[in-house]
Amino acid sequence: MNAAAASATVANSSFYSQTQCRLSSDLRGSIPFSKVKRFLFLNDVHPRKSGLVLVPRAADGKDSNEGGDEVEKQQRVMQQPPVSLSLDDVNPVGLGRRSRQLFDEVWRKFSGLGQISRTIRSDDQEALDALLVREGPMCEFAIPGAQNTTVLVVGATSRIGRIVVRKLMLRGYSVKALVRRADQEVVDLLPRSVEIVVGDVGDPTTVKAAVEGCNKIIYCATARSAITGDLFRVDHRGVYNLTKAFQDHNNKLAQSRAGKSSKSKLLISKFKSESSLHGWEVRQGTYFQDVLATKYDGGMDAKFEFTENGDAVFSGYVFNRGGYVELSKKLSLPLGYTLDRYEGLVLSVGGNGRSYVLILEAGPSADPSQSRLYFSRISTKVGFCRVRVPFSSFRPVKPDDPVLDPFLVHTLTIRFEPRRQKPVEVNATMQQDLRSFKLILEYIKALPTGQETDFVLVSCSGLGIEPSRREQVLKAKRAGEDSLRRSGLGYTIVRPGPLQEEPGGQRALIFDQGNRISQGISCADVADICVKALHDTTARNKSFDVCYEYIAEDGRELYELVAHLPDKANNYLTPALSVLEKNT
Amino acid sequence: MKMALLKAPTPQLQWRCSVAPTTLAFPNSHSISAGRGKGREWSWRVKCTTSATTSGGGSAEIEKGAANFSPGSPVRATNILVVGATGTLGRQIVRRALDEGYDVRCLVRPRPAPADFLRDWGATVVNADLSKPETIPATLVGIHTIIDCATGRPEEPIKTVDWEGKVALIQCAKAMGIQKYVFYSIHNCDKHPEVPLMEIKYCTEKFLRDSALNHIVIRLCGFMQGLIGQYAVPILEEKSVWGTDAPTRIAYMDTQDIARLTFIAIRNEKLNGKLLTFAGPRAWTTQEVITLCERLAGQDANVTTVPVSILRFTRQLTRVFEWTNDVADRLAFSEVLSSDTVFSVPMADTYNLLGVDSKDIITLEKYLQDYFSNILKKLKDLKAQSKQTDIYF
Repeated sequence: MNAAAASATVANSSFYSQTQCRLSSDLRGSIPFSKVKRFLFLNDVHPRKSGLVLVPRAADGKDSNEGGDEVEKQQRVMQQPPVSLSLDDVNPVGLGRRSRQLFDEVWRKFSGLGQISRTIRSDDQEALDALLVREGPMCEFAIPGAQNTTVLVVGATSRIGRIVVRKLMLRGYSVKALVRRADQEVVDLLPRSVEIVVGDVGDPTTVKAAVEGCNKIIYCATARSAITGDLFRVDHRGVYNLTKAFQDHNNKLAQSRAGKSSKSKLLISKFKSESSLHGWEVRQGTYFQDVLATKYDGGMDAKFEFTENGDAVFSGYVFNRGGYVELSKKLSLPLGYTLDRYEGLVLSVGGNGRSYVLILEAGPSADPSQSRLYFSRISTKVGFCRVRVPFSSFRPVKPDDPVLDPFLVHTLTIRFEPRRQKPVEVNATMQQDLRSFKLILEYIKALPTGQETDFVLVSCSGLGIEPSRREQVLKAKRAGEDSLRRSGLGYTIVRPGPLQEEPGGQRALIFDQGNRISQGISCADVADICVKALHDTTARNKSFDVCYEYIAEDGRELYELVAHLPDKANNYLTPALSVLEKNT
Repeated sequence: MKMALLKAPTPQLQWRCSVAPTTLAFPNSHSISAGRGKGREWSWRVKCTTSATTSGGGSAEIEKGAANFSPGSPVRATNILVVGATGTLGRQIVRRALDEGYDVRCLVRPRPAPADFLRDWGATVVNADLSKPETIPATLVGIHTIIDCATGRPEEPIKTVDWEGKVALIQCAKAMGIQKYVFYSIHNCDKHPEVPLMEIKYCTEKFLRDSALNHIVIRLCGFMQGLIGQYAVPILEEKSVWGTDAPTRIAYMDTQDIARLTFIAIRNEKLNGKLLTFAGPRAWTTQEVITLCERLAGQDANVTTVPVSILRFTRQLTRVFEWTNDVADRLAFSEVLSSDTVFSVPMADTYNLLGVDSKDIITLEKYLQDYFSNILKKLKDLKAQSKQTDIYF
């Protein structure tokens, strides 16, 4: 307490001299001595009073804290402020300011009563904060999960891209923008907190930098001209580069978690050595059980072998009418893995471009008699390719059976049958016998499932392009779409009608599949669909056309079109897309 | 390029545009006179001598002037300018516009702390000050629609922004061929000429009508957002809430709804030149709002009720001195409050006109409920956090 008293005296004396000066200068020393003294006395009381206030608090501190050092420290801490406070308390300027603040506050409230509605004042910090709570993250636009999501917008300066970026910003996403050049013009066009990445979609290295740290991609870049080179670079190669870079990025993340990531594929079979063929069994059969038919048949044969080149080859021929050969294996998944966490199969195969039937046998493993068969037709190309077969594309062999439950799958079969083979275009002149086949197997993996779409691609419906260029443009766009579908990413492909520069949300929209739309659509509506699709499970792995509502011509209204009006309140996308086919 | 000059020796306003081939004197003679009498006699009035003689020659010149500004390509209908974009309503207008795909330019006063949030949302910000009319024309280039939700700050004289600034803006809009002008006014502003702000708004409405600009006037009652700072926050902080015993009822409306309806109205060509009034679903008195807040917050408010008569008395008092005139203007609403007015209109016709479902308009109960449930949850989280980090000495 000594220190406190001392400093208080010092403060006092300094104050004394100060008042004396002030008094003498202000009133020219005309105040009688007694008055000054009384004034001083009054002031004298004050610091002592605050010192008294201090004591119980310090005592409190002593009680609760045993450490002597700490007590001392504490005392010093506690003693300092009251002393300076005492100075402030008597400072006439401070007093004046405080009283004015007090009066201002009361006055503000008072005069506020006379207003019908108040505007936000910049100094009204609390009210502003409260409003930000209301308007900021919790406003009508906010989407749960947006805060942790980084979206890469490719073509952020395009007609759709600009609006997409704004919509994402309003909803609280982190946004990266891939632009060709970061001119002042471009920088001004984009919101300031958007991270700008300079690069070209045609250049795989810059694309790699762009996808770093992104969770989702919206691709709305489009070729500026109809020059074939441009089309190829942006609409086809660009999409390919992005999907590849994004998959690589995901794989890198998956690897860092030692294949345990939800993004990792599950290896079912890898045909890299002689021993990997173990467990696969070749069978043959026929669809017709009657004996009569077999009379003119040339028989069939098939083998599965590991060649010197290091390929696992399934090859043979089927000359029997209604005959087939198949390659089958009982699946043995690693412990703890079940196929219901996966979305489909991907096969890396080569060969002479025949189509095959993939058959899954599902049922309780204990009781083989209850197994049900599900099939899906796949077609391959000449040379190597990767084929994605989603579980949703499998149909029961017996139409009455329930839909496939991937959890119960225990056997995988690849079947070749000579029926329904399309002639291979490339070697049409060579007159291949479609009843022989060769299938080189590299691997079979299960694709990880995902709830949401990873990649939204804005393509085009082909309407509104001048007819001479349409073929070229569409070819590039479709090639881009294909590379996205094959990438294994969750995708949404939006094919809008001719774009119109007008505000969105005004007219009902039609979502359709199969090139039947005939109207245009506003850029803002397309942007809205892109942003909504990011978190919509029904949008995953779908391609669809979209345009404004129109009245179908007589005789052409063979299908039902569901019109949906975009609005903030209703989520029009989910019901519109849920009726559409998946994996298109 | 210096686009325009404004010689504005108050109280007479004259508009000159150096770009137009001939001097563009605005055809209407609008004068504003601030009569400063003595004592109770004092009242400053905005005289709207609205002679609607828009001479053919004059407008032709204006067309020519407008043509000079935009040779060639037409202005896109998605280019809009929002005046007063940082305000309670303005920011909602900007957000709504951006979300609907408009290209939004915001006219913002130059200030030390720039309105960054507008840029973050993707709007373009241009600096101009309505009270300095020479800064206006450059901001209007390439604009199709102006949405004007600016109001002067409470601490500055009403006249500079709300009358002189608006007149300059409207004249400039006319001269530069702006194709639509949306103006927000106050409900019942024609019935209370004794309140300066309301009179100014009413005169601006008239001025706009006479300017032959393609326009929509929207009259508003009260914003729900204003109630948060006025009642909800003080109640939560257990501070005293100031209310009046006025019997006035106000139909508060969510600014987000106002913004939504505004854009529906803008796109409807049938509404050009119309006067719309937007009101909330129900009219509330101050006491009712406080009671509602108390119920939702789960705690009683420390209400300080100020009788309207005191407000009126203070107003009379402040009118006596010239230096308190601004204060008197602000308190002028007390006249309105003491009259038994209901700030509300039946909205059925408006909803029909706009094609809006009344169910989509948020009610005050729902609005405050959302607010309180959000904030109470947040407070709970904060308390849970602070408990872990509390250090006792």
